[in-house]
This record gives sequence, structure tokens and C-alpha cells, in this order.
Amino acid sequence: MFKNLRVKKYPVQFETRPGSLTSEWLLEDSDSPIILEQINNLPNNIKLRVYRNLLPPGLMIRFNIDPITWKGPDGQLHVGLKADEQTGFVHLWAHKNGSQQDEFFRLEISDNPQRGIDINLIHLNDPEGQRYSTDFDQDGEPTLFGTTRRNLEEERRAMDGGLAPGQIRKNLGASALAFQQIEAFLATLGHRAYFLDPLTYSSAWVFEKRGFAYVRGHKLMDDIQHEFQPGGKLHEALDGSTTFRKSDQWRTVRGRAWAIHDGILENIGEQWDGLRMIKQVGRHAGVDTFPDAEF
Amino acid sequence: MDIKFIENKIADTMAVTGSIDALTAAVLTDFMLLKVGEGHHNLIVDLSQVEFMSSAGLRALLAALKECRNKGGDLRISGAQPGVDKVLKMSGFTNILKCFPNNQEALASFSE
Amino acid sequence: MIHQISRSAELTTLSEFRKYIALICSQHPEVDENILYDMQLAVDEACTNIIAHGYKGMNAGSIILSMEINDDYAEINLTDFGHAFEPSRSPAPNLDAGLEDRPTGGFGLFFIYQTMDNIDYTTNVYGNRLTFIKRFNNNV
Repeated sequence: MFKNLRVKKYPVQFETRPGSLTSEWLLEDSDSPIILEQINNLPNNIKLRVYRNLLPPGLMIRFNIDPITWKGPDGQLHVGLKADEQTGFVHLWAHKNGSQQDEFFRLEISDNPQRGIDINLIHLNDPEGQRYSTDFDQDGEPTLFGTTRRNLEEERRAMDGGLAPGQIRKNLGASALAFQQIEAFLATLGHRAYFLDPLTYSSAWVFEKRGFAYVRGHKLMDDIQHEFQPGGKLHEALDGSTTFRKSDQWRTVRGRAWAIHDGILENIGEQWDGLRMIKQVGRHAGVDTFPDAEF
Repeated sequence: MDIKFIENKIADTMAVTGSIDALTAAVLTDFMLLKVGEGHHNLIVDLSQVEFMSSAGLRALLAALKECRNKGGDLRISGAQPGVDKVLKMSGFTNILKCFPNNQEALASFSE
Repeated sequence: MIHQISRSAELTTLSEFRKYIALICSQHPEVDENILYDMQLAVDEACTNIIAHGYKGMNAGSIILSMEINDDYAEINLTDFGHAFEPSRSPAPNLDAGLEDRPTGGFGLFFIYQTMDNIDYTTNVYGNRLTFIKRFNNNV
């Protein structure tokens, strides 16, 4: 049901209502935002029906997975869901042939302290694509997307293979579809916007294209754009001193992202840290910090 | 925003071109205070080529005005365009500093 | 039709917002120079506040400017994601003060109230939105 938009004279607060989702609550209120913890406390079958909405049916069909039962032709479950009671986290993943090695979808969302919802992770990998083990270093320790440790040799191979930092496989090219689905899901829950912290320069650029604006970090993105131009400090720092600082990397999103992953922002006294983005449901912010960019 | 400084025995003119907003006002303030500090106590700020001024511009003018008067001189405005003039009127600044339609009249006012 | 641009909340983008407003208004003959200046002034003052206070202490986020114009009025929306502004906390400037007492601040909000016909401010976890309505005087 659509409400006419009214201009209100007093500030409008979009309050979430604390407490459990009871049928009385649900009967009287169709608009207040619901948070994930409230859904996680519901019976399992309800959770399944609700969280099913996070997966684009078209993507499931593409990988021969029944969008309702989540089972493959082998009769096995190809989708996993973790949505524990008393927590505000939801993890959802899908694999093609039954193992983590051919996972093509992973989504992690969670309630944030302001009772909004953050996307903590979204991966759409092509399970047929070459896999690069940038997620583990030479000693087998997890790198956490290259943030705590790095596997330089695998990163170099991934970069040469056309990947951006943080990716272990080429993208599926389904991000528009996935975001539309997630956004519709969050709107159903009553949220008017949702948040994320971009892990890399390349992911921030992708999110700009998806219509996200910046809560923090727009200035940093502008400064990066400015300093990668010829004559800028980042441009000069692309001196080949490491494999990830080749002189032509300023020209592409991926090239810049690798250099930033390699720590080049120290040359402007910055770090890739603290950026936060917001997407208003149904609106595209039109932010474009790297105009006419080639990925 | 550009500032041209034209010296004259009676009063010096600062011809400003461009917009005076929160970004550019600091530059204007620094320049005006510098000139006052160098002994230029009678100033005409020529705003005929200023297409936009916000409250940041008022702050700049006020800072320089106070300095000029403290040194026994004055700061006067010339050539304010309709939008800029409205900002000066709305804020009541036209009650505390003299505004003239052009440089000649502003200059002449210093001889009275 | 809604016209929109997004820029970072930095002083260097103030002139871009003013230029954008001029560009959109150039397509509407009802908007004369005075009305254009009023809108540019209100937006400039509001954005200056957002830049100075809204994103204080953080790497500045975005400001989204959207405009809708018809024959009778223009509606301008400014959305930002920083600290909420509290207009009730800003004292009105003393317009009659002598030189010594004249305040150097407080005019920004005052100009917004003087130039715009309707002002609405909404703030919540999804951001802050300032809405101005500027009516055009249709000559009788």
C-alpha cells in the first residue's frame, strides 16, 4: 500500500521498536523498521521464508538451484544460512557443486549500533574462474582480504589475472541484480537506507555506480582522484618500487586499487580506513569521484 | 577569486573579481589585513566584478573595517551588484559602512 | 523532473553547487536574477554549515543537492550524513549592533530564513535533509 508523501513540519524519526516481533505488534504497525535480531529470534521456518528474499531467484536458476527449496538437482542443499537467535548477524552463502571451493554467492549483513543495517560482505564469484589464494598467506594464515597479512605472490598473480584487491575470483557480473534484491528486502523490513564500509578503492567505486553516497570518505576519494593525476603526489609515487606501483596504474580503478592496497596513500598522509557509505532505498546518489573511469 | 590593489593618495582600491564565499573569504581577509598593516588605512572595496557574496564575505569586510577604523581610517564599498547589495542590506551592514555605486563617488567621499 | 548532483562536503564544492543551480534555472524563464541569487545564497549558507559543523572531526562525506522547479516554485533539498544541525541553538544576529558589538557569525541561518518561503529540516539515522521552497512572484 502506498502512502502519499506529506511534508512534515516536525522532525520525523524512523524509530525501530525494541522487543520481540509479536503478532500484536505486526498487526498494528506496517511501517516501523525491523532489525535482523528480531527476525533471528523467530522460528526457523519463518527465518527461511524471510531470508530467502535475499537471493535473486534468477541467480539461483542460473546455477540450477531451486530458489524455494535451495536444493540442487542432486537433492542436496546448495545454500547455507546462519542467523542465530540473540544475534543481529545474517550470513548467507550459495555454492554450485556442493563445496566451498565453488561458492558463487556470499552475503553477510548485520544490525549496526544505530539500529540500521550494514552490509558487511558481499561476494559474487564466478565458480568457473581461476582461483587465486590471496586469502591465505604462505604459512597458511588467513589474510582477511589482505588487511592483516598479505600473500604477495598470489596478489601479483591475481592482479595480472585481472582481479581487484580483495577478490579471489573474477566477478560474476551480477552485482546490480544482487543489490536490487537486497534493497527490496531491506525496504520490506522498513529500512529507508542501508550502510557499508568499502573494503577497497575498487569496491568503493563499484558502490558509487550502484548509487551509494558517502557518510565519510568522499573527500578522501576526491583527494585520491586529484593526486593520481599527472603532477600529483600519488602519481609520482607510482615509481615501480613495488610490483603494485607501476607507473600506469593511475589510469584504471583496478590499478589505483592495487596501489592503495599496497599502501601508497601514505604519500598523502592517509590510510584506506574509516570510509562509510550509505544507499537510500530507491534513490541513486550519482556520486562519481573518478569520472569516465575504466575498471 | 582575484584581487587587484590600486594605490591612490586619498584611498586605495581593492578590486575583487569572482565570488566571495567561505572558501575564498579567508584569502580576502588576509590580503585586506595585510594592506592595513602596511599602512593603507583608507580602503575602497570595489565589488563591481563580484557576482556572489555570502555571509563569509561580510565577516571579511567587518574584520578589515574594524582594523581601518582602529587606525583612524575607513573602509567603503563601491559597485555592489544587486545580489551582493541585498546581502549588505539584509544584514544591516549598510548602516555601519558606506556604500557607493562606483569608485569615483567612493573616492570622492574620502575627500569630504 | 528532479535534478540532482552529489559532491563531497568541502569548501571547494560550494561554487559547483551555485553553478548547478544557475544551470538548472537557466532553463526556466520564471526564475529571475534575484530569485536565482536567493537560492544560491540559501544553498551556499546551508552547505557552509554542513561543511563546518556537520562533518566536523571526520573525513567529509557527501552532500546531495536535488531541485525540482515548476512554474510557481522551486523545491531544493540538501541531504548530508553528518551530525545533525540544531537550528534552534543558533542565536539570531543583532542587526542593530554598533561596530564593536556586531557579531561575525549567525548570518548564515538568518539569510536562509530571509530568502526562502518554507524551510523544513528532517533528521534521522538515514541522514539529514533540509528542504527549501522558493515561490516565484507571478506578476499580476
